[in-house]
Amino acid sequence: MSEHPNLQQWKDLASKQMKGKPVDALDWMTPEGIRVKPLYTAEDLENLDANTLPGMAPYMRGPMATMYAGRPWTVRQYAGFSTAKESNAFYHKALAAGQKGLSVAFDLATHRGYDSDHPRVSGDIGKAGVAIDSVEDMKILFDGIPLDKMSVSMTMNGAVIPILAGYIVAAEEQGVSHEQLSGTIQNDILKEYLTRNTYIYPPGPSMRIISDIMSFCSKNMPRYNTISISGYHMMEAGANSVLQTAFTLADGIEYVKAALKSGMDVDTFAPRLSFFFGIGMNFFMDIAMLRAARFLWHRSMSQFDPKNPKSSMLRTHCQTSGWSLTEQDPYNNVIRTTLEAITAVLGGTQSLHTNSFDEAIGLPTDFSARIARNTQIVVQEESQICHVIDPLGGSYYVESLTNSIIEEAQKIIDEIEELGGMAKAIESGMPKMRIEESAARKQARIDQGLDVIVGVNKYKLTDEKIDFDVREVPSSVRDEQVSRLKEIKETRDSDAVKKALADLTSAAQNDGNLLEAALPAVRARATLGEISDAMESVFGRFVATTRCISGAYSSEFSSNDDTIKSLKKRTADFLEKQGRRPRLLVTKMGQDGHDRGFKVVASAYADLGFDVDISPMFQTPEEAAKMAIENDVHVVGASSLAAGHKTLIPSLIDELGKIGGDDIIVVAGGVIPPGDYDFLFKAGVKAVFGPGTPITDSADKTMTLLEEKYL
Amino acid sequence: MLKDPKEYVNGVLNKDRLLLARTITLIESTLPTHQALAKEIVNQLLPHTGSSVRLGITGVPGAGKSTYIESFGNMLTEMGHRIAVLAIDPSSTRSGGSILGDKTRMEKLAVNQDAFIRPSPSSGTLGGVGRKTRETMLVCEAAGYDVVIVETVGVGQSETTVASMVDFFLVLMIAGAGDELQGIKKGVLEVADAIVINKADGDNITRAEVARKEYETALHMLMPASPNWTVPVLTCSSIENRGIDRIWETVLAHKTALTKTGEMAEKRKTQALDWMSFLLEEGLHQWFYTDSQVTGSLPRLRQETADGLISPAAAADCLLDHLKNR
Ligand code: B12
Ligand SMILES: Nc1nc2c(ncn2[C@@H]2O[C@H](COP(=O)(O)OP(=O)(O)OP(=O)(O)O)[C@@H](O)[C@H]2O)c(=O)[nH]1
Ligand SMILES: [Mg+2]
Repeated sequence: MSEHPNLQQWKDLASKQMKGKPVDALDWMTPEGIRVKPLYTAEDLENLDANTLPGMAPYMRGPMATMYAGRPWTVRQYAGFSTAKESNAFYHKALAAGQKGLSVAFDLATHRGYDSDHPRVSGDIGKAGVAIDSVEDMKILFDGIPLDKMSVSMTMNGAVIPILAGYIVAAEEQGVSHEQLSGTIQNDILKEYLTRNTYIYPPGPSMRIISDIMSFCSKNMPRYNTISISGYHMMEAGANSVLQTAFTLADGIEYVKAALKSGMDVDTFAPRLSFFFGIGMNFFMDIAMLRAARFLWHRSMSQFDPKNPKSSMLRTHCQTSGWSLTEQDPYNNVIRTTLEAITAVLGGTQSLHTNSFDEAIGLPTDFSARIARNTQIVVQEESQICHVIDPLGGSYYVESLTNSIIEEAQKIIDEIEELGGMAKAIESGMPKMRIEESAARKQARIDQGLDVIVGVNKYKLTDEKIDFDVREVPSSVRDEQVSRLKEIKETRDSDAVKKALADLTSAAQNDGNLLEAALPAVRARATLGEISDAMESVFGRFVATTRCISGAYSSEFSSNDDTIKSLKKRTADFLEKQGRRPRLLVTKMGQDGHDRGFKVVASAYADLGFDVDISPMFQTPEEAAKMAIENDVHVVGASSLAAGHKTLIPSLIDELGKIGGDDIIVVAGGVIPPGDYDFLFKAGVKAVFGPGTPITDSADKTMTLLEEKYL
Repeated sequence: MLKDPKEYVNGVLNKDRLLLARTITLIESTLPTHQALAKEIVNQLLPHTGSSVRLGITGVPGAGKSTYIESFGNMLTEMGHRIAVLAIDPSSTRSGGSILGDKTRMEKLAVNQDAFIRPSPSSGTLGGVGRKTRETMLVCEAAGYDVVIVETVGVGQSETTVASMVDFFLVLMIAGAGDELQGIKKGVLEVADAIVINKADGDNITRAEVARKEYETALHMLMPASPNWTVPVLTCSSIENRGIDRIWETVLAHKTALTKTGEMAEKRKTQALDWMSFLLEEGLHQWFYTDSQVTGSLPRLRQETADGLISPAAAADCLLDHLKNR
């Protein structure tokens, strides 16, 4: 087959409609660097092998033979907040309303291996997930949920040993044996260093923990997925679809190599590897992405020569993009989520989480969670989409796009291979810089209105108001957890705990299986923090290297953009009159690991002529205050996304006051519900910049505050 | 919002973190009023300076300077020292702003109560790195910090300036591919008091050892800068905290060797005189080029020289005469 006989005629017609412009003026360059044409024809399929079948290699059209025609995807909503008791009640309601599997969200203290009474986590307890301190909490969390029947997914990476052990022991005490357990543990540490930031130990010991879990589960929990190799978080941090595909598969390859190195046979563990992709607003791109990922995984796995076909079959969970959801005019988010849900389904996901419309405001309420769940149930049960497998297979455009992603992602995978694999690549900083650069460029395009977001930079409402409830987790959750911890410590056999913890430490020193070694400690009621510490005493705690890109934000603007020019002039004028540039400390306090906004703001402000100090992650208010004083900044900007703002920011202002820094301006940014603004203003915060605030606006406001004070 | 010089002086002497920080801001400021005030403060503090160990650390970007200082600094505070770190950050963007991220790699030291870390943008300060860092160092000494470390990136010329204001200049290297000197200029090796190959850990240990030998050989070719000191080449791992104590011992051995022979006192004296000459030249330069008669006739004389109407020497004499006649 060659060119369509009438193609030239079409081109002429099109050109005429465009008043003489050539038709390729309609080409669109995607953020992935893929050139998309306005029309695809059969010739675009010419060199592609699109005519494959589902359930068979290379699995492009789906891992299962019957896909949704046989059984639809699993509705699996990620949830967790406050205490185990509250979350348990929420799960029961969700299951009654049509949810099929559980997916547990833990709070940040738990993620980072701290008990609720640890001084570093006072603002984090129960705020962004459920607080778990011991197996007693685990038992409450799964109360009335038969763990032999219910598949449970747990997003846990840092404190994966105490949490997985806690789940296993909670099941034991329900009378459920190890081999009956089914579900998934995320257990994907590489992307924690890259984007999710809930690591505890350095890479070496962390990779060993993963191998230990794979080895324990392959023997004892055959129905359990030992890892969920995640690209979702990379997408949410700013990665485009090619970057997401490449980095995720490169992570997967690294895990396979680690397991092989630890002596396992590829077919014992590879069938239990699962994936997790994020689905954004670029409709066809992400359909193609899922198809490309399956193809690439099959191809990548062939180097390890598996005998079991399941070893190279990519099965995945998907989540719609939270980043694409706005605080402004938030009901629009239901529409966005619906589109993304359909993308995931057309791409052939095995399970799906759909986000709530209040995503950019707080954790879901019963109401918003219902709408979110129903978003995919309506697609599944009302739209008749499920009857046909891979309905876009053979589409000239989708097949061609799938192929472009395969080609572009493979280039990056090869590049990573050359760097010595993903662990080495991460060490070099390459993947993180690519993601952050992509995020900064995206921000610049949105701030200029080049990329449209309805309600944010186009069709804006003049009177935004929130006419629905917002979930707020009270700080009393911490008191509850702390008193339960006290009770457990008083009633347990402390000698047994000591011995079990010492055994765990010795397993850490001597290559014992850490999951196996943690079980007796959990049974004896050792707490999550104690179990973490027992290993930390051998492994140490990982400290991230923070690097910041520069120039990407401003380079997306044309050189004579007035907004940018005027801001640069104002920072330069400030220098002239004050003897130095406006100096801003951007800080992250508490265990909140959301650093996308933090990095984008820091990088963009430097581009605008500020001197920007960035603090390490996970600061206490006292530490942030010390840094502000020593660096003698004019402004401290606290970026808070994990609901610690009402505790941490007033406390920062307090600490600044204690050491004489009460003249330092404090501003805040991040996910702060509008209802909390007044509280923060009263505490002394001078400005609050919520999600969607153009950087040029927040910089303008910050400069105004400075000019009023100093000039 | 400026205070009386006495307040800053007392604050610094009382080890007040805030007033120390604000004094440094005055030193770094480009405003003449700030500079005058800073000069006054530094002058009053001068009798309280001079007693610290002054250390300069340089190395290519990513050599691990900040990480090294994190482990070195925490070790020193555990030994009872109080340390100040002045990090000169080169990461200025085209806009003139910069991102100062050094403390993210000195996480523990940054929150250590016995440590004071001040990152400074290298751009936009009058007199460059030299003026502000030297005076800042003095102020930190007056505030009771007995080890002062200056971190500077080994590209450009800031490192030789830093070498000329410290007692001990440490060049941090990493085992690179091949034997090239990683873009570090030869001149840097000439002013080094020790060379340390960092990141000697994991599968890098042997490569670090090879690099160590190479640098040792390279150093043999150079004339020793001091008759009392042979520049050692060491290895360390900042991440695993290995070899760090050896480096401190080396610094102390250097101090003992040079103090005993009087070279240390001589070195500081020379540094002070060099500094004075530098300031003098800078002052003259500024004075000359801001003189109204000079600025009045300079453009015309430049043009005439360019057009060959007057010889360069005659033009220069003509300008200098403006000042001679004063
Ligand atoms: C991206 C994202 C992630 C990514 C983070 C990637 C990364 N490296 O940053 C991933 C997927 C890893 C992630 C994980 C989690 N997330 Co999340 N995440 C988001 C999401 C979708 C977008 C945040 C974002 O980056 N936006 C883009 C940036 C540019 O915007 P921004 O940070 O808001 O900054 C802008 C302004 O706020 C302002 N600004 C912000 N800071 C500052 C500072 C200064 C000085 C200035 C001037 C301005 C300013 O300017 C910026 C430009 O407009 C939000 C929901 C949402 N739509 O906001 C949830 C959200 C923040 N996440 C949430 C949660 C719970 C989590 C988890 C804790 C879940 C769990 N239990 O495991 C994990 C753990 C993460 C961790 N370690 O802390 C919750 C927090 C709930 C709450 N506050 O009550 C949210 C609100 C979603 C929700 N409704 O459930 N998340
Ligand atoms: N393996 C290993 N890595 C190290 C060591 N020291 C530093 N690093 C790593 O090297 C990278 C750069 O370290 P920095 O301390 O930021 O280097 P720097 O020289 O201060 O860099 P700039 O300030 O950007 O010039 C980081 O990723 C560190 O974790 C070490 O001893 N061993
Ligand atoms: Mg550094």
